[in-house]
This record gives sequence, C-alpha cells and structure tokens, in this order.
Amino acid sequence: MEKPEVKGTVTSLSSMFPAEEVQKAANRVAETLSEKQNEMNQLREFIADNTSLINLVQKLPEELHHDIMVPFGKAAFFPGRLIHTNEFLVLLGESYYVERTAKQTVEILKRRGKSLESKMDALEAFMQDLKAEASFFDSTASEAAEDLVEIKEEYEEENSTETESQSGELEQESPSFAEADNTMVASEDDEFAHIMSRLEALEKEELAAESYGENDEDQDTGAAVSDGDEDEDEQAKAVFHRKKYEGYSSLDHDQRYSEVYQSRKPLQQLKGKDSMNEETSSKYHHQDLISQLACTGLTVEPVIKGKMSHSQSMPQETKMLNPSINASVPFEKRVKFEAEHSSRNETSKSGFDSSKAFTGSIVEHTLNLEKASPGQTTSQFSGSQTSKPVSRFKMQRK
Amino acid sequence: MDSLNQAKIQKFEEFVDRRLKPDLVRAIAERDKVFEQQKIFSDLRKNIENLEQNSVTNLRTLVNLGSEVYMQAEVPDTQRIFLDIGLGFHVEFTWSEALKFISLREEKLERQIEEYTRLIASIKAQIKLVCEGIRELLQIPEEKTVEGRVF
Repeated sequence: MEKPEVKGTVTSLSSMFPAEEVQKAANRVAETLSEKQNEMNQLREFIADNTSLINLVQKLPEELHHDIMVPFGKAAFFPGRLIHTNEFLVLLGESYYVERTAKQTVEILKRRGKSLESKMDALEAFMQDLKAEASFFDSTASEAAEDLVEIKEEYEEENSTETESQSGELEQESPSFAEADNTMVASEDDEFAHIMSRLEALEKEELAAESYGENDEDQDTGAAVSDGDEDEDEQAKAVFHRKKYEGYSSLDHDQRYSEVYQSRKPLQQLKGKDSMNEETSSKYHHQDLISQLACTGLTVEPVIKGKMSHSQSMPQETKMLNPSINASVPFEKRVKFEAEHSSRNETSKSGFDSSKAFTGSIVEHTLNLEKASPGQTTSQFSGSQTSKPVSRFKMQRK
Repeated sequence: MDSLNQAKIQKFEEFVDRRLKPDLVRAIAERDKVFEQQKIFSDLRKNIENLEQNSVTNLRTLVNLGSEVYMQAEVPDTQRIFLDIGLGFHVEFTWSEALKFISLREEKLERQIEEYTRLIASIKAQIKLVCEGIRELLQIPEEKTVEGRVF
C-alpha cells in the first residue's frame, strides 16, 4: 500500500531522545523511587507500632496494677507500678492532651491507623506511576541505543494504511483513531471532495429510500460512488459491521444512527454554507467531507461507540470525537465546519426533510432491532452531543 | 612544570575532599554523641540531687507507652535506682552510690570528648596544611620571587 517514493520523514529515535538525557531521567526517577520507598518503610513501621500499641492498650486494663520499671531520664529506672490502668493520656498534637479510657484510646489509635494506611496507599500508587515511568525510560533508552527510527508519512487518500512507528510515545487513542488523525493531516482537499461526494451519495440514497431494507445497499452504493475511497469505506463498513454483530442492539442502532448522522450533518451544513448549490462544487466539498468523515466520523465514531457501549458517558465521546476531528484537519477548515455545524443548525433543519425517512430506515436496518429502540437511542445520542445538530435531529425524530 | 603542578594540585584537592573532610564530619558526629551522653548524665545527677534535697519518697510519673500515649505510674520507693552502666547492664544503686557513679561516668565522658576534640583539631590542621600547599603551588608560578608573604 505504500507508495514507492519516500514521502515521509525518518527521524532516529536517538536524536529525539538523546541517550544520556534518557539515562539522567531514568536516574532521577530511580532516586525519587528510592526516596518514596524509604517513606513507605517508615510508614509501615508507624503502622506496626500503632497496632502493637492498640494491643497493649487493650491488655492493660485487665489488671489493677502492673509492676514495671519506670524510666527516669534516658539512663535510669525506678521500680514502680502502673496505676489507674484504664486512664490514658493521649497527645492529639499541638500540645493538646486528652484523658481517655482504654476503649476510647483504642478508637483514636484505630483512626490514626486508618489515616496512615490511606497515606500508604497513596504513596504506593505514586510509586507505581514512578515505576511505569522508569520502565518507559529504560525501554526508550534501550531502543535509542538500538537505533530505532521513527518514520512519519503523510497520509494520502489512496492509502488507507499508514506507517507510523512511534515507539516512545504513548498512543492513547485507538489505532483507527490515530489513522484517522493522520488521514486528516494529509491532503485535505482530496479528502474533502471525497467526503462531500460520499455525503451527497448518501443523501441521495436516503431520499430515495422510503422502504426500510434499502439502507444497507445504499451504503454500499455510496461506498462505490466515492471513488478512491474504497479502503476507508471498507474500513468504515468493516468496523460498522463488526459493531453491528456485537449484539448491542441499541448501540448498534446508535452507531448506525450516529455514523450516518455524522455524515449527514456536514452535508447539510455545506449545503447551506457556501450557497453553492451547484452539484459539482458542493459535490466536491461533500466528497472531501465524506472522505474526511469516513476517516474521522465514520471510522472513529463506531469505534468510539463500541467503546462507549459500556459506559454511558456520552459527553466523553463528544470530546473524544472533537479533538480527533479538530486535531487532524487544518484547523481553519475544520473549525469552520464545526462552527457552521452549530450555527447552521436551524437553517439546514428546514431544508432537510429526508432525515425523517432516514432515521426510519436506520431503525429497520440494524440487526436485532425493535422499533422501540430508536426513541431510546435518539435520546441517548442527543444527550451526548448537545451542542451539535443532533438536537435538531432529535426534534425531528420526536 | 605547570601541568605537573596542576596534577599535584588536583591530587591535593582530591585528598582534602575525599579523605579529610569526611573524616572531619565523622569525628564531629561522634563527639556530638558523647556530648549528648554527658548531658543525659548531668541531668540525671541534677534530678537525683533534687530528689535527695526534697526527700521525695513517692513519685508519680506519666509513662510513655509509645506514640505519645501516657499512663500514670507510681514509684512507691525511690531509694533504689537502676542505672545503665553500659553494655546493656543496669545496676541497682542507692542515691549516694548513684551520685558517685554518675560523677565517675561524667569524668570518663569528658575524657572522651577531649580526645575527639583533639582528633578534630588535627584533621582541621591537616586540611589547612594541604590548602597551604595548594596555595604555594599556585602562587609560586605567579610570583616567582616573593617570599615570606605569610603576614
């Protein structure tokens, strides 16, 4: 899938992370780690002392007096007895003492023990992080020593696969996510055209589809329509189908819903945006948008949705989606897009009646779906993206 | 000659930093420990004298059970006192015996302190010597004919 010409940049890891500095960083982390280890040992001692003291305090009231050697300074003892064996003078700090019975003292000590333990847990968590950091530094150091290189290539539409080996950096997003990002970085115009064409195609299909069983085919045809976009579409569809068969009926629904919706939104926006109602130009834009969306929205959304299936934290999804979109595309374009999204909510609303039919078709098309779920999913979905045109959608559905 | 001097100077400096200064620090730490002991015993002595003066027979104290949790304790008979004579032994004393012992102990401690003081002084002198040597080596190349500049 890679083009024969060298398009990307090759940077040696060792130049990015100079070996010495990595060593220094690793040493620093090791030092901090040992410090924390010492603190932890100290805490453990305190806790042990505390527990032994609790035992002692519990045992003492058993007798009226205890014969002991009473210390007198540091180097002398007096033989004597412990009296008032149920009365304890406890230091609370800041020279405040309280006289307590054995039971009350035990409670005080237990509370102290709890706070010590919580401190220890926090310290342990901190140490875990430090250890992770240390291991990361070590691996980076070894990799830098091995002369690993980082290869970056700009994404082009025809390529759906990217070669990006980022050994040192943590990939916090899913692979498709990253891919989508890289997609955006590459030639946006082409993608834009792609997306636009795709959107256009989808829209047409929806308009045409009054019956339920058409959507799938429409999607397929839509895929065929957008030229050169096969990989993305296949990917999107693959992801989509995968998700579909996951058995999350409502979520599949949601997915589908959101995916198509996502593709629809920019479509609507673009329609109103340039006042270019000529097929060709808008189509061009749509194409771009479609391809863009195919990468970000379509591929990402389902993935996100799949992830989200376990938690209802929809707002997160929005955030996840937005950064990917925003980060990948040249900011102006995307921002404009987003801005128009929100601004053109109302305008495009009126001009787009097929959404009704569209949603109907979606309902039907998901696998184990009942008609009741659309309402659910709508509310679910709309709840997530309040600022987006989803609300409009929701209104239409309701 | 200069490079040789430089090497010598480096050696001297290293010697000072690596051997003499840590030695000095250690000696001071040891002496501080002995000071502490001395203080403990002098406090004890003062207390015993106090008790004797006021003919205190009973004593009520608060005993630290650990982590600053105190309990009342009573000493019915203060005539006998157990003193730590070192090596983990505690010997029963009467007051007068205790006082005698304490004074003996204090003498011993004072002698120890003196020894440490002497050691510290010698280390400091060595450091000074080496520094002077370094200074000589440095200054001779600069001022070839200057003599007796120590004033």
